[in-house]
Amino acid sequence: MKGAFTYLLLPHLWSSRNRAQRREKGDGVRALLFGGVGVGVFIALFYGAAWLTWQLQDYDELGDYLLRLGLSWIFMTFLAFLTFSGIVTALSTFFLSDDLRLLLTAPVASRRLFYARFTRTVSQSSWMVVVFVTPILLGVGVADCAPTRFYVTSILTIVPFAIIPVAVGTACTLLLVNVFPARRARDLLMLMGFLFSGAIVILLRMIRPEQLVRAESLPDVTGFFSTLQSPVTPLLPSFWAGELLFASLKGGWDLLHAGALWTTALACCVGLRAADERWHFSGYSRSQEAPKARFAHLRALDVMARFLPLSPVRRQLLVKDVKIFLRDVSQWSQLLLLLALMLIYLYNFRVLDLGRIPYMSGFVKNVYAFVNLAMAGFVLSTVAVRFVFPMVSAEGPAFWLVRKSPISMHDFLWSKFWTGLFPILLLTETLTIAANELLDVDPFLKIVAAVAVVFLSLALVGLAAGLGARYPRFTADNPSQVAGSYGGVAFMILAVLFLIVMIVLLAWPSTTYLFYQLRHRPIGTGRLVMMGLSFGAAVAVSLVTWLHSMRSGVRALDAMSN
Amino acid sequence: MIAVHNLVKQYGKFTAVDGVSLDVPPGEIHGFLGPNGAGKTTTLRMIAGLLKPTSGRVEVNGHDVAKEPELAKASLGFIPDRPFIYDKLTAGEFLRFHAGLYGLDGKGVMDRVHEMLDLFELRRWENELVESFSHGMKQRLVMCAAFLHRPRAVAVDEPMVGLDPRGARLIKDVFRRMSERGVAILMSTHTLEVAQEMCQRLSIILKGKIVAQGTVDEVKKLAGGSDDHLTSVFLRLTGGSALQEIDEAV
Repeated sequence: MKGAFTYLLLPHLWSSRNRAQRREKGDGVRALLFGGVGVGVFIALFYGAAWLTWQLQDYDELGDYLLRLGLSWIFMTFLAFLTFSGIVTALSTFFLSDDLRLLLTAPVASRRLFYARFTRTVSQSSWMVVVFVTPILLGVGVADCAPTRFYVTSILTIVPFAIIPVAVGTACTLLLVNVFPARRARDLLMLMGFLFSGAIVILLRMIRPEQLVRAESLPDVTGFFSTLQSPVTPLLPSFWAGELLFASLKGGWDLLHAGALWTTALACCVGLRAADERWHFSGYSRSQEAPKARFAHLRALDVMARFLPLSPVRRQLLVKDVKIFLRDVSQWSQLLLLLALMLIYLYNFRVLDLGRIPYMSGFVKNVYAFVNLAMAGFVLSTVAVRFVFPMVSAEGPAFWLVRKSPISMHDFLWSKFWTGLFPILLLTETLTIAANELLDVDPFLKIVAAVAVVFLSLALVGLAAGLGARYPRFTADNPSQVAGSYGGVAFMILAVLFLIVMIVLLAWPSTTYLFYQLRHRPIGTGRLVMMGLSFGAAVAVSLVTWLHSMRSGVRALDAMSN
Repeated sequence: MIAVHNLVKQYGKFTAVDGVSLDVPPGEIHGFLGPNGAGKTTTLRMIAGLLKPTSGRVEVNGHDVAKEPELAKASLGFIPDRPFIYDKLTAGEFLRFHAGLYGLDGKGVMDRVHEMLDLFELRRWENELVESFSHGMKQRLVMCAAFLHRPRAVAVDEPMVGLDPRGARLIKDVFRRMSERGVAILMSTHTLEVAQEMCQRLSIILKGKIVAQGTVDEVKKLAGGSDDHLTSVFLRLTGGSALQEIDEAV
């Protein structure tokens, strides 16, 4: 046992066991929250997959064809995710993980260390894929009355399918760590962010979803299917996995694709191990070097900050936060990814030809304006939980510096709020205005949405800053960990509830106004008052959420100092 | 024994360690002194096999660290300046795991673990999570782990930092006993009194180069001063004696 690579995984298993045995405050609520969300997602995916499979069964061979294609599509999506996840995880497990300092000084054979690290990389990169794909395959299996062999094959498919892209990702990391200047080890994350964003854009453009709603632009049914099938190539493991599962679903065996999956996975392991033996130590040695300061001379920022109407304390806090943000590549590279997703989102509005729907285009456009507002709100919440919620926690062990300084916690938290508010407001406002322009919605709705975004931003950024101060995690390794904590999840739930309330309060008076305008009828005074009250309630809810959250956050920080 | 031959480590254009050579024979406690950023930790990390030298060679107990890393590491006990310990493991679990890394097996392992925990006065904390330990306790736990497999050579970076006087005394005694039994110890330290008291020979490193090497008396002579105290000798050799500005600054 002690000679096997699995021995090196024991500390993580023991640590998990010890963590589970020693319960901490809030564990129950956290388990309930995460468990509830998990079960909800599982059920939704299971029923979604089962429903779709049932629908496809009505179309006999065509249904089978689409199901077969769908399986390949699902694995194709996961293939891109696993490769990227493998790159990022391998950077941590093979090069930046703290326990390497212990393991590399011990007489552990490099081969043994490789297998232990690779097992960790595969499991850390792929657990989410397994969590998502399990209910989907179960749903397909149950709906299609699949034989037991389908479920066995599913397990035998997922294992090599996860190994291949993660091995490719690990090989990329190994190569990049050895090729790039060592002081930039963490900067690799940024590069990966770019690559992944690019991959998503390419993938989505390969789908060309707009062609599917323009049946006349396709020459015939063959053209329709070739559009669907274009990114599914027989050379990719996603195709092999899809074929293998489809064969077992129909009670057959597909040894060719099973063989292709397993032999490729094994070849990847062997090749990667050889590369690791050759280049891991030099890469690890390079990654030990201190990272060079990026944006070391931000004089322009200092000059600009001098002109801001801020107290010296707030100005210095702002300058410090912006500098740290710009120098931490892992922080802003995630923004790039978000930007790429936003561009795709806006592009979809551009290609969405709603004018083609007779009689309904005006109505659909205006409904879309609210869908767009909800989406913008959700993007806002996601950005806030990732960037604003961890702001207090990000002070980390250096928080003593703030606490020992003659700064009130009020000043401290409000400085965090304003730092977060302006970029988020700019981002969400741009997204909303651009999408509404592309949709060509009614001018009244454009104004309502633009004003609503201001209040949404105030409330959600305030809520994130306040909850971040109430539930800080000063010991977290990175902001993502803070965002995934109990407070982060609580924020997301409250943010979604807040958005629902806001959409309801804004949608009723807006649609009433449009309804009367469309019929060229004047609105009665009583109705006008009700509409005003509804808009007023939306403003009040936003302001209360904003100010109450901030006050509660300041109180929590004050209590911490006492 | 630990033998370092013409060791060089470059980070881009910056040379952190520049042709360092050292020889620590069995039974010797060798002090490795130098100001902050002189290259002590980098040298020790190369000896431990954590960093790849740009050039040069390191031997531990006759095994080349680059060519026979497992054999070299098996006979070395390394105590880094910033040790890693799994926070969510208990002291006992950590030591058991560490023993396994060095191939220690069988019933004797737990006896050895208890022996080390007793020696470093941590036995009553055996089943407590490491995250609840103070800095000094963690330091003693790391020493337990480093000596668990009875190494023939020890490389230690700042062993006295964070230890109370009792802990420091304990470490000194342990090092002396180990050296009497033939273990070669290379010890980096800033505590010059400790170096003067314990080390048979010293190497002083400055800007990556060894500027003085020999017994304590030889190093004093080399510095050319009449002062008996090692602190003055160290300051003369490392150019840190001009501290008059302190009065003005304070």
